[in-house]
Amino acid sequence: MKKFLALLLSMSMVFALAACGGGSTETPAPEGSAPADGGSGDAEVTRITLWTYPIGQWGGTDPQLDTIIAAFNEAHPEIEVSYELLDYTNGDTQVTSAIAASNTPDIIMEGPERLVSNWGANGLMVDLSDLWADTESDIAATSQAVVSACMGADGNYYEYPLCMTTHCMAINYEVFEQAGALQYIDEETRTWTTDGFVAAMEAVAASGLVSTPAIVYCGGQGGDQGTRALVNNLYSGTYTNADHTAYTANSPENVEALTLLQTLVNDGTISASASFQASDELQAFANQTCAVTFAWNASNKAAYASQAAFTPFAMAFPSDDGVPELCGGIWGFGIFDNGDAAKIEAAKTFIQFVCDDAVQGPESVRLTGFFPVRSSFGDVYAGTDQAEQMSEFQSLMPYLGDYYNVTGGWTEQRTEWFNMLQRILISGGDPQTEADAFVEASNANI
Amino acid sequence: MAQAPAAAKPAKKGRRSEFSGMSRALVRRETISAYLFLLPSLIFFVGFVLVPMGICVVYSFLDMGINTSGTTFAGFQNYIEMAGDKVFWQSLRNTVVIVVVAVPAVTAFSLWVGSAIYPMHAAWRSFFRCVFYLPVVTGTVAVTVVWKWIFNPFTGLLNKILHTGTLDWLGNEKTAIWCIILILFTTSIGQPIVLYVAALGNVDKSLIEAAQVDGATKLQVFWKIKWPQIMPTTLYVLVITTINSFQCFALIQLLTSGGPNGSTSTLMYYIFDVAYKYQRFGYANAMGVILALIIAAFSALQFKAAKTGNE
Repeated sequence: MKKFLALLLSMSMVFALAACGGGSTETPAPEGSAPADGGSGDAEVTRITLWTYPIGQWGGTDPQLDTIIAAFNEAHPEIEVSYELLDYTNGDTQVTSAIAASNTPDIIMEGPERLVSNWGANGLMVDLSDLWADTESDIAATSQAVVSACMGADGNYYEYPLCMTTHCMAINYEVFEQAGALQYIDEETRTWTTDGFVAAMEAVAASGLVSTPAIVYCGGQGGDQGTRALVNNLYSGTYTNADHTAYTANSPENVEALTLLQTLVNDGTISASASFQASDELQAFANQTCAVTFAWNASNKAAYASQAAFTPFAMAFPSDDGVPELCGGIWGFGIFDNGDAAKIEAAKTFIQFVCDDAVQGPESVRLTGFFPVRSSFGDVYAGTDQAEQMSEFQSLMPYLGDYYNVTGGWTEQRTEWFNMLQRILISGGDPQTEADAFVEASNANI
Repeated sequence: MAQAPAAAKPAKKGRRSEFSGMSRALVRRETISAYLFLLPSLIFFVGFVLVPMGICVVYSFLDMGINTSGTTFAGFQNYIEMAGDKVFWQSLRNTVVIVVVAVPAVTAFSLWVGSAIYPMHAAWRSFFRCVFYLPVVTGTVAVTVVWKWIFNPFTGLLNKILHTGTLDWLGNEKTAIWCIILILFTTSIGQPIVLYVAALGNVDKSLIEAAQVDGATKLQVFWKIKWPQIMPTTLYVLVITTINSFQCFALIQLLTSGGPNGSTSTLMYYIFDVAYKYQRFGYANAMGVILALIIAAFSALQFKAAKTGNE
């Protein structure tokens, strides 16, 4: 009896272990899934997975993936799509872990800096040139920069884009009005000069209406486009050279901008914080702790405007000549090369449906909260309740500058950038010396 | 002549165990049963501890990124690079500071609190145990959100209380690591306090009473009677707190991301950064090997010190 019990216990433990560690060819349990309708047999269904970063309602707090997949399954019941929502805090870790474990999703939604410059350049993505054949001219008509950004150095397309936007800044309109600082901005074009920016910051600081007029956030990794655009625009500097083969943040124009910011911080006109990330600065803006944010766009307005008891007024970054060049954001889809031709084909079918379908395409763009990369879509917000809100960001689209995010060593330079800002604005380092150190370290990673 | 007892008769060679007196066949069967019971744990231990450790050591000799097809043998290159990596040494220095400050502080404070609340009424003892254990069971994210609010330079509670203007506690190279140590301290003391209260309950009361009768002071009773008896608990607290302090990661990631200027970067955080942000798995594994060796050395020292203290 004792032997029998011992054997039974051992066997049950071994079976339990086997059940835990057993391999499976099925897709891992997804966060959400929308099974294909139509009652077709299991063998006829191709199952694919989609991972998406929080891009509007393609993720975030109110994802609409089920609706999108249901619409897709009406046209393609033979493909079952499951999805998982990523966030920008842990998303890269999840993807890297999946790559290391050869357990990547079929489709992933993000921007060229990850899809093209990282995973594509490492040979992990499927060439999507066949999808581009019919749409390249349509996308190029909106922005040739989008076409270039989605193409890898080897000439293959690793991203099929859906939407784009410009990253901008915003001011607290009422605070500026009460501080007498509205005179320094051009409300019609939403532009201002560097001198106007300095005068406005001084006026807001003198008014005492907020704790500090602006906070240059130097912490974390996200939202770097805001501080980059601020520095580059103040004296019309560039972040990289024209062919995106070297970082140029130590140019005289950029050093002059960094020196100006250091002076403004040192004399207490504005603040810099190494403990503040972009999200902290946005929250401080919403709480009226500061009067401007450097990390604004349509998506952030949707997220923070409801908390703000004031009018957030979108603005271009200040520049010496009054002609800003804004950083762009491009989002679209890439396919991981998992070696399964059927899944790759199904993934392409899904991507084409959500990006190019006459009805679903514009709806997919609206769900991102950004603007279409296909010129044929026109104004996708016309006649919707988002039209008024989106018009202010639409007016900033002509200021879209060079999309240099595809420069090599992008991930490493983001860390170096924030470290450089900390050394200059927090520790009082020499702007030229620190900018040189940034460029040397960043170029070494290209 | 006295007759030797039957049990003392030597067992027949090859048939009976000379220790238990059981037949060899029975011993073998019991041994097999014992190993079968151990097998599931052993499989987990080998599969999730020993094998990954081995893989970690092997990978540390590779130049390996996310494109595994491009993996090459690097020999000791990762270790050589580590020797000249300023961020690695800065992270190691920060880690050692955290361990050297946090471990004695946590141990001493836990012992003091445990000693203070042990004689209290059971209800009060439970109350204080709950209070000190609360940060342990509260999620790290929730804890960091609260501390971030306390340390906020513009609206934070600390600056209001101390009248320190807009001092950026977490954004200042001089104060950031001490803020991390403070938070680590509050989240680390819960378990040691509970353990010490339990350990003090197991101290032999007759020895205490005897010492008191002999005229021992409270301090003498503590050092001569209680301290030796709670030494195993102290050793456990020291080792676990040391390991936890060495592996401090979540607080850094959520509060400072290693900044400002790497002043709060720990080895664990840097390893994560190198592996998942820069996707240099070989180099990250090499640092992991070094971290494991350092933790092992610290733990061995603690065991040795505790053993010497007991003698």
